[in-house]
Amino acid sequence: MGLSVKVNKIVNGFSLDAEWTIGNELAVLFGCSGAGKSLTLQMIAGLLSPDRGFIHLNERTFFDGSTGRNLPPQERSCGYVFQDLALFPHMTIRENILYGAHGLSKADREQQAGTMLETFKITGLEDKYPSEISGGQKQRVALARALIRRPDALLLDEPFSALDNPLRAEMQHFLQEIRREFSIPLVFVTHDILEAYSMADKIIVYANGRVAQSGSPQEVFTNPASREVEQLVNTRERLLQSVESLPCMSKY
Amino acid sequence: MDDSLLFSLKLSVQVATVATVLVVMVGLSAAYLLSRKNFPGKELLDILLTLPLVLPPTVTGYYLIVLFGRNGLLGRYLYAWTGWSIMFTWYAAVLASFVVALPLMVKTARAAIESVDENLIRASYTLGHSEYRTALKVILPLARKGIVAGTILSFARAMGEFGATLMIAGNIPGRTNTMPLAIYSAAGSGDRSQAAIMVMVFTLFSGFFLYVASKLSRRVL
Amino acid sequence: MTKKLAVLLVISFFSAVLPVGIALAGPTMDLTVSAAISLKNAFEEIGKLYESRNKNTKVLFNLGASGDLVTQIKGGAPIDVFASAALKDMDKLDSAGFVVKDTRTNFAANTVVLIVPSSSKITIPSFEDLKKPEIKKIAMGNPKTVPAGRYAAETFQYYKISDMIHNKLILTENVRQVLDYVYRGEVDAGVVYSTDAMVRQQGVKIILTAPEASHKPVIYPIAVVKGTKNEQAANSFVALVTSEEGQKILSQYGFKPIASAK
Repeated sequence: MGLSVKVNKIVNGFSLDAEWTIGNELAVLFGCSGAGKSLTLQMIAGLLSPDRGFIHLNERTFFDGSTGRNLPPQERSCGYVFQDLALFPHMTIRENILYGAHGLSKADREQQAGTMLETFKITGLEDKYPSEISGGQKQRVALARALIRRPDALLLDEPFSALDNPLRAEMQHFLQEIRREFSIPLVFVTHDILEAYSMADKIIVYANGRVAQSGSPQEVFTNPASREVEQLVNTRERLLQSVESLPCMSKY
Repeated sequence: MDDSLLFSLKLSVQVATVATVLVVMVGLSAAYLLSRKNFPGKELLDILLTLPLVLPPTVTGYYLIVLFGRNGLLGRYLYAWTGWSIMFTWYAAVLASFVVALPLMVKTARAAIESVDENLIRASYTLGHSEYRTALKVILPLARKGIVAGTILSFARAMGEFGATLMIAGNIPGRTNTMPLAIYSAAGSGDRSQAAIMVMVFTLFSGFFLYVASKLSRRVL
Repeated sequence: MTKKLAVLLVISFFSAVLPVGIALAGPTMDLTVSAAISLKNAFEEIGKLYESRNKNTKVLFNLGASGDLVTQIKGGAPIDVFASAALKDMDKLDSAGFVVKDTRTNFAANTVVLIVPSSSKITIPSFEDLKKPEIKKIAMGNPKTVPAGRYAAETFQYYKISDMIHNKLILTENVRQVLDYVYRGEVDAGVVYSTDAMVRQQGVKIILTAPEASHKPVIYPIAVVKGTKNEQAANSFVALVTSEEGQKILSQYGFKPIASAK
């Protein structure tokens, strides 16, 4: 079943036309900034509406342009981790995590909170505020908050981009563990080729608002479908250069 | 302090308090609508709500008479149904204060609401909270600095309201003569000492209010 | 960029202020007359007549309740001529030393009336009927500052209804405001001068006239204010008011011309 996406949207002169399907796997939307990856993510979550198309998750239809069905984000059960994490600054860590659990009974909530704190290795931080904890800890709180209600999918918008390399590697590893624990579609947006390569079960390459290629990392790297994709994934060049990839820069 | 002075002070505080409560309720709602929603006539609403800020209070008072006078556009229906008119009552003083203080609340609250990080609101939605709950648990708490400032400004403005109040509530001793009106009467009739006492009392009260307000707001914020 | 902006601001400031400066410096032949507001229509016409006779003098009117006007003059307002709706206010100004000797004179008299909105169906055969429950609001000037309010209070006292109608009274800042409230139907009845009722004949009707015995005589005095920068013009204005022409204009507006050389 999985997550099936076909979306068209024109916004501020930018035209998005993407279509892909994934199962219970970690899919990476990879491409330059501004290629439409975050836009797609927001539409899956229901924060933005496509002009046309459809979005299905398992048996549920989130959006269908032909019938006019458009589920509000509150009912979609998609966990979302924002690029800036969006932790509520006026709530403690415990309150942040429990914010997603408001449907549960009081006893359940306490139990879930405890489980989350353990699973994400953030016990002891419950009464602190987001401004008082480290970047890596914030990441894990954001993940805990998104996952406490056992959502049907997890969407992550470049969540690790602000972390330094060692921490980033640690979080990537952590995400893999989550993937094993929760068997749901994970959609991960990044413009970092190494991150994409190391994390993905499936890579979906975005270029100029279109899906240029999708497949396993192996497939995409050894058989780039177009010059564009080739430029984006050219690993040898990437390894020799610093973070920003050349093809992306040349667009500006 | 004689009875009339006490009455005027009490009346001013009463009018300002009631007006401020209304201003907070209506002002917050309007600020939320203006900052987060798009609808036909939005620009017009914004202008209408800002108008009392730029119009002289007497012009505002005139419009209030046109609307709520016994034969006013709205007042005539009220009078026809109930035989009651708002003119020359302390409710009119509340109405005048409400209208002139509302723009202050709307402007400050709107700026505060707009400054709330949109991602926090999006996060709240993805975590299953309705727009209403999000407003209550995320937007309002994070906008509270501006909201508190707006409330204090509104109360101060309501306490000092004169022009529009004079026009629709009149300056009736023992009934609608708020402090500013009473001071105006005393000064106008040459009763210097009475005016001086009232001015001093009003100034002390205002100073005291600002002191308490800043203490309280520091705790809330 | 900011330098240009600064220059622009300075220029616009001065060009805004300059004309005002010139205006203030104005012709030194301006005459400022503080007059009871009931004199508005009559005095404005007399003012125009004066200006047509004295081409380089502009007459400016400051209208309001006589009591307020006295307070202004005592507070140092630059007024050349003062005309009030009662002797009391002129006495107050006189005893405070603000009246130029021998310029004070009475120039008009008026009557106090009770008016109701034209559309009103309430019958009020006598002042005592103001007690009636159908009459919920009665407007009158604030006795503290408005002569018409004092006359009204005296009349109510005369008819012994003061206590009973106390809660129905709406006090106004001047007599024309009473007229306005009655005209607009905000109140059921009001006390004004007959000359005021004349101004709004279509909107209000006179129902009762207060007998002379019920209040102090309604006599209007006029005088030159001490400290006037234009004594000659002030005197000639007063002369015009008390002249045959001035008196004729006053009677056209309903005043009783009673100018007596004093």
